[in-house]
Amino acid sequence: MRRVVITGLGMVSPLAANREGTWSQVLEGKDGLGPLTKLHLPLEPGQIAGQVSMAFGRRQTLGEVMALAALEEALDGFTPTVDPRRTGVFQGAGTTGLPVAEGYMDQRLLGHQPPAAELAFQCPNMVTDALARRIGSEGPRSTVMNACSSSLLALGQAFERIACGELDLAIAGGAEGLCRTTYGGFSCLKAVDPAKCRPFSRDRAGLNLGEAAVEFVLEPLELAQARGATIYAELLGYGATMDAHHPTAPHPEGEGARRAMAMAMRMGKLNAEEVDLVSAHGTATPANDGSECQAIRGALGPAADRVSVTSSKSQFGHTLSAAGAVGTAVAVLALRDQVVSPTLRLVDQDPKCDLDCTPLHAKQRIIRAALVNAFAFGGNNLSLALRRWEGQ
Amino acid sequence: MSAVVITGLGLVLPGAHHVDAAREILTTGAPQFSELPEALGHGRGAVAELPAGIIPPMQARRLDRTSRFAWAATHACFQDAGLHPKTFGGSRIGVAVGTLCGGNEASEAFLWPYLKRGPEGASPMVFPNCVANATSGHLAVAFGLQGPSTTQLERENSTLAALEQAARWLRMGVCDAALVIGADGLYPLLSEITQRSRMTARHGLPRPHTATGFLPGEGAQAFLLEREADALARGVRIRARLGALSSSSLEDRAAAMQRAVAEVMDRTPDHWIAGANGHVRVDGSEARLGEGLPQPVHPKALWGEFCGVGGQLLAAALLRPAGQVLVTAPGSFGPQFALRLDDVAI
Repeated sequence: MRRVVITGLGMVSPLAANREGTWSQVLEGKDGLGPLTKLHLPLEPGQIAGQVSMAFGRRQTLGEVMALAALEEALDGFTPTVDPRRTGVFQGAGTTGLPVAEGYMDQRLLGHQPPAAELAFQCPNMVTDALARRIGSEGPRSTVMNACSSSLLALGQAFERIACGELDLAIAGGAEGLCRTTYGGFSCLKAVDPAKCRPFSRDRAGLNLGEAAVEFVLEPLELAQARGATIYAELLGYGATMDAHHPTAPHPEGEGARRAMAMAMRMGKLNAEEVDLVSAHGTATPANDGSECQAIRGALGPAADRVSVTSSKSQFGHTLSAAGAVGTAVAVLALRDQVVSPTLRLVDQDPKCDLDCTPLHAKQRIIRAALVNAFAFGGNNLSLALRRWEGQ
Repeated sequence: MSAVVITGLGLVLPGAHHVDAAREILTTGAPQFSELPEALGHGRGAVAELPAGIIPPMQARRLDRTSRFAWAATHACFQDAGLHPKTFGGSRIGVAVGTLCGGNEASEAFLWPYLKRGPEGASPMVFPNCVANATSGHLAVAFGLQGPSTTQLERENSTLAALEQAARWLRMGVCDAALVIGADGLYPLLSEITQRSRMTARHGLPRPHTATGFLPGEGAQAFLLEREADALARGVRIRARLGALSSSSLEDRAAAMQRAVAEVMDRTPDHWIAGANGHVRVDGSEARLGEGLPQPVHPKALWGEFCGVGGQLLAAALLRPAGQVLVTAPGSFGPQFALRLDDVAI
């Protein structure tokens, strides 16, 4: 198996349209959540969201535009020269195309007959195709539709293809824009907090939805070193499990999540004692955070007492299919800079979340390795293992 | 490294609840199209019926159409493979679903009342099925599956993308058995959109490689994959060996298909199961692939487009004995897939 490293990272978030701008504001304790302005949903009780401002053309979606912008930043001027058949693109997809469907149905409700072709050709893998065209990839493309764990599995798929020697370069990540379907859906499940979300808090009352895109460049270590690439972190492996418990609710003791983390550490040959950070799913829903903390304890054992946990949902909201990639970006930059990003608005911590959840302020510490979690409807659990790159 | 083999097959296809009925349709070449019932839209399509007595009624109410078909096909697949998932160990079984329509039926059902009436029209019962991976979640609960799971979307070839991932998990040792599902359910907006954008065959039946349009279909196919050594140790019948699977993405789709076929073929196959069936955007790729190949079979001309998005091609490939079968699965955009199955037995 070849070692796999991250050599590019691009990010578009509600805080900034680039990686470093986003990261510096995260460390300053700022969030990208604000009044919902993109969608006109006056009857919805929740009116807070993380929104990205970017212009896009009539035949594009916000997801595609954000993903392409993130890819440009991730490439940072790098023009791949490897065999295009040995390059692949792996994307977590979510609501791409749904705003087009919503617009079509709006028109139909008004009694109009809008053109159908645009909707007919909308497909979640359009973002994957656009990224593949940009880098000239002729190899595999994968569009993962695992809801909120999609982009983390996309990273896992890219990892295994490079590790086993099939690919020499992969682009992996995810992009998500707001739409009425998800907003109304999470709202009717009573999962949306009318105020800004409070992960791990005793009085947490649900999530805020958000928009973001994150793209990574992955390469085998030897090729990255040969071209003198900047190495952000080493990707060690991933774990994937199902709860087999409930269509939407997580297992109350986080059993599937625990197994996913254990599998990621096993694949990555990572000891629990080496894990200094967990970039948590941390949605701020009553059901998730307690069971996730229990799962972290189960996976790490006594080492959980000294691990730092953080939830990027407090800065960006829940970016659904992009959430795993966002959580990975936060972990990668934490590994690079040796600082844990804060969980905002964590004042009164839930005793069920009895870990160091990095309340309010960023925390400098030694971070050798990190786990990233993303869980989804269908009881779908993903965990990714990363190690700090120290030059060897 | 042990080869990956297919040890279980379960089908819910238009006109066929089980493997023998599907084989009969494939043999006679009888298309399964009819006028769609009003609840599924307008125009013609291939409608699947759910076999009775498999899904408990209380459970069935919570499932979307795609998941119901997948549930029934999975039930048959595990029976065919002689594998009881809970006895085998649910955490040892992975699930890879390929779908194009998964989540769309529920999204349409959720959106009409929500757009009309706002929050009071939104249904918390419907929304969980709006995600494409609702099917894998329902299957996990129903059959106790706790291994890795993915839902892949690659237009017409989603199930082949799912098959690729499942085989990889087996080779990596991430799971010891992998359920591959192709599943789609019809819904009204689908027929409206495809007809209004002139993608469907408006006159008669779909004719492969004539660019005169397709007809939609629905159903599910379930395949159980295992490592060959494990299957032999279990003493189970092997339906086929997964020879090779390749996808290639080029702007010139015919060239991409040629490349994919070249990568999977090591000799002329006994049977040729072609995926293209007159999809408006698919050209006749077989004309460029070589002379002297057997006459292709076109499952989509029998059961329709969608209908498992590639799963119906793989199912058809398993219905006739052959030393080697080539499945070509052109896509309207993006990757073109080719799959070689070896030692197909029935």
